[in-house]
Amino acid sequence: MLCEKCKIREANIRYTEVIGGVKTEYNLCSHCAREMDFGHYSAVFDTDYPIGKLLADLFGLDADTAESDELDMNRVVCPTCHTAYSDFVKDSRFGCPDCYRVFDLLMSENIKKVQGNDTHTGKRPLYHCGGEQGGAEENEETKIRKAIELLDCKLKEAVQEEEYEAAARYRDEIKELKERLSEHA
Amino acid sequence: MLKWYQETENQHDIFVASRIRLVRNLKHYPFPVKLSGEDSAELLSKLEEGLKNIGSACGKNIDTKPLSSMDAEEKNALRERRVINGAGAEKKGAAGLLLSEDEMVSITLAGEDHVRLQCMAGQAELSKLWEEANRLDDYINERFDYAFHEKYGYLTAYPTNVGTGLKAAITLHLPMLSSGKRFGKLVNEISRFGVAVRGVYGDGNENYGSLYEISNQKTLGVTEEEIISLVKQMADRLASSERKMKAVTLKSHKLDMEDEIFKSYGVLRYAKKLSLKEAMTYLSQVRLGETEGLIQFKKPVNIYRLMVEMQPANLKLLSPEEEKNDLKQARADYVRNMLPELV
Repeated sequence: MLCEKCKIREANIRYTEVIGGVKTEYNLCSHCAREMDFGHYSAVFDTDYPIGKLLADLFGLDADTAESDELDMNRVVCPTCHTAYSDFVKDSRFGCPDCYRVFDLLMSENIKKVQGNDTHTGKRPLYHCGGEQGGAEENEETKIRKAIELLDCKLKEAVQEEEYEAAARYRDEIKELKERLSEHA
Repeated sequence: MLKWYQETENQHDIFVASRIRLVRNLKHYPFPVKLSGEDSAELLSKLEEGLKNIGSACGKNIDTKPLSSMDAEEKNALRERRVINGAGAEKKGAAGLLLSEDEMVSITLAGEDHVRLQCMAGQAELSKLWEEANRLDDYINERFDYAFHEKYGYLTAYPTNVGTGLKAAITLHLPMLSSGKRFGKLVNEISRFGVAVRGVYGDGNENYGSLYEISNQKTLGVTEEEIISLVKQMADRLASSERKMKAVTLKSHKLDMEDEIFKSYGVLRYAKKLSLKEAMTYLSQVRLGETEGLIQFKKPVNIYRLMVEMQPANLKLLSPEEEKNDLKQARADYVRNMLPELV
């Protein structure tokens, strides 16, 4: 759904106002939401939180569940291995490589605290397509996976830079590629 | 073939051992904790098959060991020798181990992470070990795609290993420094630089044998070379403090020092029963005496080897059947056999 104010960006905030028994609902993007006057709720938009939620949206979480429990980050779940954010907090352990992407914004501060830094500067893998893969069909699959990975990085950057239009575009491209991937399988 | 800690040549007075550990995971697989028993076994056989000739990459004979079907004692013995870590020893379900004959190279498969690669040696040889680990890492990477993140680097089950996945560690023998009052303070001071100091053997807060391992705490945002140089630098600092204290004590209290060393030797030589604590304490003294030239053996010996092999699980494996139930007696017998006569 597009933001009803700017009609450009994806709406990621639903604001429901009930005044004197009259219920009004707004679907806004975080950019427009910040500009609207929501009284003391405005403060919510100044934090990182909407970005975190936007990410959760982008990674296929049910938007309604996420919204009904807005501040409950514990309900963010990795779609690949089903590790919940609360599991991560409890065990300080990830379930799969994808968890890093899913929980990125939620735990990047923690990682920074533990490690004193959050960006790798050391060695990089020499080979990106090991002997484990093989055969023409799998190569096609690897290509798509690689493209998804690249888009993922772009998407994250776009979100961080608050370029939501670009982010939405990347998200759609990822979705398309993922569909192709499942067709492949 | 002798294992690395059994070698008697090229021993160093303070640097007992060094270790490089790399943690890696494969792309497209959940970390072991989230793998079902079946998937785990499948991944393990894939890894074992792909890495069966890894010995050629380091010029060593590397055997595949069935870690999951070993009994607890054997696993504990490997843990005492630092071949595997606690998680590797306690792992339920499929897990594998590739181990070189000299035990310098060990690779735990499907333990806490998919691959835990470790290179160990005596002395402070971190740079050399890193070269070897780096080469083996590339060998594995040639065959398996790694989980790598542009920002976070190599992805690991625990965020404390993420980034380089590297732990560089040096084990030091610090009998003088650790008996001083200021040791705790010194350890705290050093940990502010991002290195951890841990007692290698002991019980709770008590350290047996004055062996301490120092290692990097951070793995992300620093290069491998930076990590290695930091650990080396801190190890050198501790070693030079230890040396200074030795020199001072030798000058002012030589007789007391000799007295303690020779008494320790005497107990080790003639005791009928030895507890782990007793044996570690006296061996530490004897090692100090040997490296300072205060005591001389007829045959060369590696005291660290004795310290390792008289740990409970290793001792049990080495002891004759009738002594397995009385480890104190077995320990005294073992030490008496291994400790050469004095010149």
